[in-house]
Amino acid sequence: MIVFGLLKESVSFAIVSLVTNKLRTILSLLGITIGIFAIIIVFTIVDSLEQNLRKSVQSLGDDVVFVQKWPWTFGPDYPWWKYMNRPVPDYPELNKILENCDGAQSAAFLISSRITIKYKSNSIERVNINCASHQYDRVKNFEIADGRYFTDIESASGRPVAVIGDLLAKALFPNQNPIGEMVKINGAKVMVIGVFKKEGESILGGSVDTEVLVPINYARTLIDIRNEDLDPQILVRAKPGISNDDLIDELTGLMRSIRKLKPRSDDNFALNQTSLISNQFDSLFGVVGVVGWVIGGFSILVGGFGIANIMFVSVKERTNIIGIQKSLGAKNYFILSQFLFEAIFLSLIGGTIGLLIVFLLTLIAGDSIGMEIVLSKSNIILGFTISILIGVVSGFVPAYGASQLDPVEAIRSN
Amino acid sequence: MQSSVKRPVLIRIICILGFIWIVFSFPSVFSPAIKKMGDWYPALFGLIVACSFISYIGVWHMKRWGVQLFAITFFVKEAVLFMVNDVSYPGIAFSVFFLTSMLFFYKRMDLNL
Repeated sequence: MIVFGLLKESVSFAIVSLVTNKLRTILSLLGITIGIFAIIIVFTIVDSLEQNLRKSVQSLGDDVVFVQKWPWTFGPDYPWWKYMNRPVPDYPELNKILENCDGAQSAAFLISSRITIKYKSNSIERVNINCASHQYDRVKNFEIADGRYFTDIESASGRPVAVIGDLLAKALFPNQNPIGEMVKINGAKVMVIGVFKKEGESILGGSVDTEVLVPINYARTLIDIRNEDLDPQILVRAKPGISNDDLIDELTGLMRSIRKLKPRSDDNFALNQTSLISNQFDSLFGVVGVVGWVIGGFSILVGGFGIANIMFVSVKERTNIIGIQKSLGAKNYFILSQFLFEAIFLSLIGGTIGLLIVFLLTLIAGDSIGMEIVLSKSNIILGFTISILIGVVSGFVPAYGASQLDPVEAIRSN
Repeated sequence: MQSSVKRPVLIRIICILGFIWIVFSFPSVFSPAIKKMGDWYPALFGLIVACSFISYIGVWHMKRWGVQLFAITFFVKEAVLFMVNDVSYPGIAFSVFFLTSMLFFYKRMDLNL
């Protein structure tokens, strides 16, 4: 209890010292503020970007394999001239995959294009239209907020029906329910049967909020679905318990047999998966994180030296007071804790200000750039940890020096 | 501030090596690799680094509490590393050598703070 009381007293001594020398306190905590700010702002941006990207990649489907002409990633010496001559996936190949692929839970054929969509006097140009086969809702992750998805019959017979994005619905049908209304897509009348649930902006682009989805069999009447520019692709989702690697192995064999490739000839298709994108970004974020760590580390180092310097000055300045305290019976740990708490407080205040600046910037940036930037719990803990650590490491040597002073010599000093 | 006990050369070398380890460990507290291990891991690792630093200061001044703090920090550190499956056997060997050397001079060390 006595120890606790002494510690409490040493804390109040530390606070009084900080308040008395306001300018010195402010100048010394600036270093820590800048250091914590530099580290935490970089980590916050990297974490937020990574989180947004992962969310976007997940919306494409973790367990989906994309059968396409071009691979998503390639090295500097990739033979693009060979890829140029590859055939694009076509609709009959989808049926063969559905019939023969044991590892596939569902699969869909998809093409994308740009169209003009109109409703009465409202018109929106260059809207992304996805034309998909029936199982698309089982392959792609999306929710329908209002209305419904296509029925089997609508997909098979190619009825003029569409599911539209939330932003499109609001723009075309202000203050009106779009379900059952007829819109014009490139001049053809199409009935809106559903509205996608609002997804928000995607860091990879292609949010469903601004998309139109129609059955592929209807799209044949609007556009040439064999056009290579429409990026035809087959999306295959793995059965639960089947890994993407197993599915890719099976699809490789299946696609080779569908395209009747000779045993020694190269594949003329690419099997892409979302991990290809996330792996690319993992290395990028790793580099950005390390750069931020190095820059912030140096700022913290400078801040730490600043605090150590101030603490040495503080001890020198109060040497005779330390002597008086010791001659009146103050224990070594009382003097030690007094100066150590002062260093920790100083550092903690600096760190808290740094964290507050980051927090305010995340609020401002979040509104202006339209991407959610969050100061996470882990970064707050990290900020406080670094602050306390800097306080302890830079304050312990001066504090310990003060605690070891001889009372008589300390009182005599000027 | 001078300790009444003369510091042996071995202790001097150990402390200098220890301070060098602290210099390299300190930035790793807020490194992305440590951060990925969990929300509280940087705090725990920071505590271990701070305690190690203080213990080396104590040992440098030939204080027994320095050795005691070093021993406690060593066991806590290894327990944590064991839990996160990141045990380094050369690290353990170095720490055991340091601790044994410190204990060799333990009786010559000062009992007070």
